[in-house]
Amino acid sequence: MKRIVFLLVLCCLCSLFVEAFAGNDAQPFRLHSIQARFVQEKNMEILARPLVSTGSFIFKAPRSLRWQYHQPVPSLLLMHEGKVRKFVGRNGRLVEEKGAQLDGMQMVLAQLSDWLDGRFSDTEMFKVVSGDAHRLILEPQQQGMARLIASIEITFGENRALIDSITLREGPEATTTITFSDRILNEDIADEVFTSK
Amino acid sequence: MRNIGAIVIAAVLLFGCAERGSDLPRLPALAGEFPAEECSGLFGAGGRQFVHSIDFSMDRGYGTTVVGITTLEPAGIRCALLSVEGFTLFEAAFDRDQGLSVLRAVPPFDAPHFAKGLIADIQAIFLAPPGEMRPGLAENGERICRFTAADGEISDVILADEGCPQIRTYTRDGLLQRVITGRDCRWSDAGLIPRYLELRSYGRSGYTLKMTLLRADETT
Repeated sequence: MKRIVFLLVLCCLCSLFVEAFAGNDAQPFRLHSIQARFVQEKNMEILARPLVSTGSFIFKAPRSLRWQYHQPVPSLLLMHEGKVRKFVGRNGRLVEEKGAQLDGMQMVLAQLSDWLDGRFSDTEMFKVVSGDAHRLILEPQQQGMARLIASIEITFGENRALIDSITLREGPEATTTITFSDRILNEDIADEVFTSK
Repeated sequence: MRNIGAIVIAAVLLFGCAERGSDLPRLPALAGEFPAEECSGLFGAGGRQFVHSIDFSMDRGYGTTVVGITTLEPAGIRCALLSVEGFTLFEAAFDRDQGLSVLRAVPPFDAPHFAKGLIADIQAIFLAPPGEMRPGLAENGERICRFTAADGEISDVILADEGCPQIRTYTRDGLLQRVITGRDCRWSDAGLIPRYLELRSYGRSGYTLKMTLLRADETT
């Protein structure tokens, strides 16, 4: 499960990375926060048709994340100052799952500062194996992670200013693609957004 | 992860070596009969896929939520468990001739006996019970379709005039194993499809699955 947390944050971090280096200015602008909606499409050989989820996320530098699925199974992941809280929809309300993802959070936070600094290729968890103006391919550095995730593909928009999608390949016949939209950059966001549902 | 680990360990205890309490309900005696035709058509023949949100909770207080995918095929069953975020935690196939194959199992879902127990629950929920069927009336008037498997395990399907039938399974010693209750059933060519299912498993490591149907698809 901790890998899930990692992947969720990866999506945000990749967005941050691209946003931070977007534009034509020589100096990359500093990104303080990002909000966006997403559509997630899961494809597996077993599935008669893709499993589609929708949600939204909010990230605030340096280490605060609110990642929320609205459909089909409501859930919420909060990360702030090293603490992780996870909520799942039950009987119409979000109920906290105690004690989940603590180990995964430590791993994720270790990655966060690296990516914010643009260090993709020498992170502990993933390495860049190929890339061009419109695409970046990451693969796991560690064998344990490689058994779970084959690769991650990040695609950029035409102007390279925005990330279009992230595709996680668990294996040859299982992929999860997250497509982002409606991004809002650098708005002031209160810490409470990342600590309470 | 620790949370899920505790659940899986408890589930393994249940499937692997659970002791059955002597205070569990026992198999009711049947007296009288009703037309056997009323017991037919309750279960589909295959070619159908169900996706559920599954709340898994142990009697000891552990719990988590996953997404379950179940495909019923003429030759067997395919199933997968995903995290609510969509990551594949477990995938397996059960073929009536070739047996059980685990295609993917992220720790702790790779624990021994987990796959076997999961398939047993899926079979109990979605498939017609194995063995010879005999209709009969319980002392309280319930109309029961009783299936007795070759190994002595018994499955009672309790008919309801309206709503969903209930399924109770018993060990060969006649002790209650699990009760499956559905709500908001709809007839289809795949049999009765409940919008909500609850599986209560008894024993030393009892657990409950609360399954909300997200969608049902034809696969053939």
